[in-house]
Amino acid sequence: MDDYALGVLTNVGLFSFVALSAYLLLLAGEMSFGQQAFFGIGAYAGGILTALYGWPLPFAAIAAMALGGLAQFLLGLPTLRLRGLYFAMATLAAAEMARIVFELVHFQREVDGQLAGPDGTQGFRGIRWILEQDIEPPGYLGIVCLLLALVLAVFLRAERSRLGATLRAVGEDPELAAVLGIDVRRVKLGAAAAAGALAALGGVLYAHHNTYIEPRNFDIMLGVHSLAYALIGGLGTAFGPLLGVLLDIGVLEASRVFQGYRMIVFGGLVAVLLVFRPRGLLDEKAVQWLRRRLS
Amino acid sequence: MLADLIQNTLDGLGAGAAYALLALGFTLIFGVLRRANLSYGPAIMFGCYCAAWTHANFGAGLLLLALVAVAGAVLAGAYVERLCFAPHRGGSAIAAMVASFALWMQFEELATLVMPRHLYAFPALYEGGPLALGPFTLRVESLAMLAAALAACALLWWTLYRTRFGLAVRAVIEQPAAASLSGIDVPGVLVRVFALASALGGVAGYLVVASHEQITPMLGMWSTMKGLLAMMLGGLGSLPGAVLGGLALGLIEAHSQWFFGPQWRDLIAYALLFVLLAARVPWMTTRSAS
Repeated sequence: MDDYALGVLTNVGLFSFVALSAYLLLLAGEMSFGQQAFFGIGAYAGGILTALYGWPLPFAAIAAMALGGLAQFLLGLPTLRLRGLYFAMATLAAAEMARIVFELVHFQREVDGQLAGPDGTQGFRGIRWILEQDIEPPGYLGIVCLLLALVLAVFLRAERSRLGATLRAVGEDPELAAVLGIDVRRVKLGAAAAAGALAALGGVLYAHHNTYIEPRNFDIMLGVHSLAYALIGGLGTAFGPLLGVLLDIGVLEASRVFQGYRMIVFGGLVAVLLVFRPRGLLDEKAVQWLRRRLS
Repeated sequence: MLADLIQNTLDGLGAGAAYALLALGFTLIFGVLRRANLSYGPAIMFGCYCAAWTHANFGAGLLLLALVAVAGAVLAGAYVERLCFAPHRGGSAIAAMVASFALWMQFEELATLVMPRHLYAFPALYEGGPLALGPFTLRVESLAMLAAALAACALLWWTLYRTRFGLAVRAVIEQPAAASLSGIDVPGVLVRVFALASALGGVAGYLVVASHEQITPMLGMWSTMKGLLAMMLGGLGSLPGAVLGGLALGLIEAHSQWFFGPQWRDLIAYALLFVLLAARVPWMTTRSAS
């Protein structure tokens, strides 16, 4: 495999995390325009911990996930009372605030005789933990795939359990769920915290893959893309968001067939697809059909 | 100090008038569809790129360019309505919104394919300098934008409350099922409202690019974000709210930019929206939004 293919596959893996976080919130019945903020928080926090304080990546990733989860939990406290577009706009406003804060943060220290750390709009250079540990691109792809597989396993296990049923009940009809004795608010806050942590994990891995991040990476485009990935892939299974990312980044960008027309092709495909399958390719019905076929 | 305050207020009103025009179209679509059209700004951008292309190739005059911009925006709006909103009527709001985002991507790439440079000049609305009001100045473009916003608001009010078409629109907004039962062609009304809102957006976009004298592919995102922000601030689906929200946004931006700088300007605008939403102020969150 050449470096280009490795890079594309790694990107597919990285963006799957943020797509999965949007998917998790969609299952809970909430549409977030702000998952890019937690991806960004993870990227900045993880990068600062490894590049400025010399933490090893695994610990930095755990800390960043905790921070991302806490951030979305706290954001959820006032915003999860809002419905539909109001929730989407509140998350968008919060995410844009986070992006501007990234632009305003100048936090540099001298590391090995060189200045390192976030430098406002100039971005954050030198997140070199991967290079310092001599981890080659295939090795990093392996790490990303392993973590993604782990997350997927948790999702698939949870979706077939009581927890998954509870989450879908809350997403489908919160009033009915409340009547059935489900604590709707607790479920939604839990989903929000998990989604924040998941997006932050993607962000940490993204920052260390690119070695350079800047505030622009975390604008609304990323947020709406992750929502689109989750929806076109399908809301029936956690493989859906992966399929969405794979279709866009993996097939359309990597094939280079539609060079220069990629977004026109992809945009048209998505709009037409949603006419026929408003809950995505792998929606609940498709998943049930597949399950029956496979068993 | 006081002089700066007054001058900033004048500048803010000019910018706010543009936001008000954008918010009017947004709120009109939201009122009948209960859906946010993310492609609203990009459709406006498409219209303005048609005008810029016409100008670059034929050097047409101002009025013709405005007509091209409006026609382009209506055409793009019709495409968005057919592909993103007509199929999902009564269906999934999220699917409609994601579909409108997908078309946004199309418009943006199309613009950069046809006109690949990042920035194109656009003929100015008015060649002379700003008007002097004592020690203060007011741009003629701002005045034109304010006049257009007020005229659009009045025209919409008249259409909604004094015509048969307006009656049908209000019926669709209040009771879609009853409207349909009493013989109103609901899909037809929706299409026409969409066209009206897109035309309004085309006017707004034309005035904005003509007063900035340039056009970039950022216009799409800019229009959607400012229009959404102004619409939310004024309360979803309300015409006077859209105008007030737009003007308020312009004033807040002008003053916070002067006091704190451009990055803080946007931060303060978003923070205000966030706090108002989180506090669930009555005029903003009373309407149901799926």
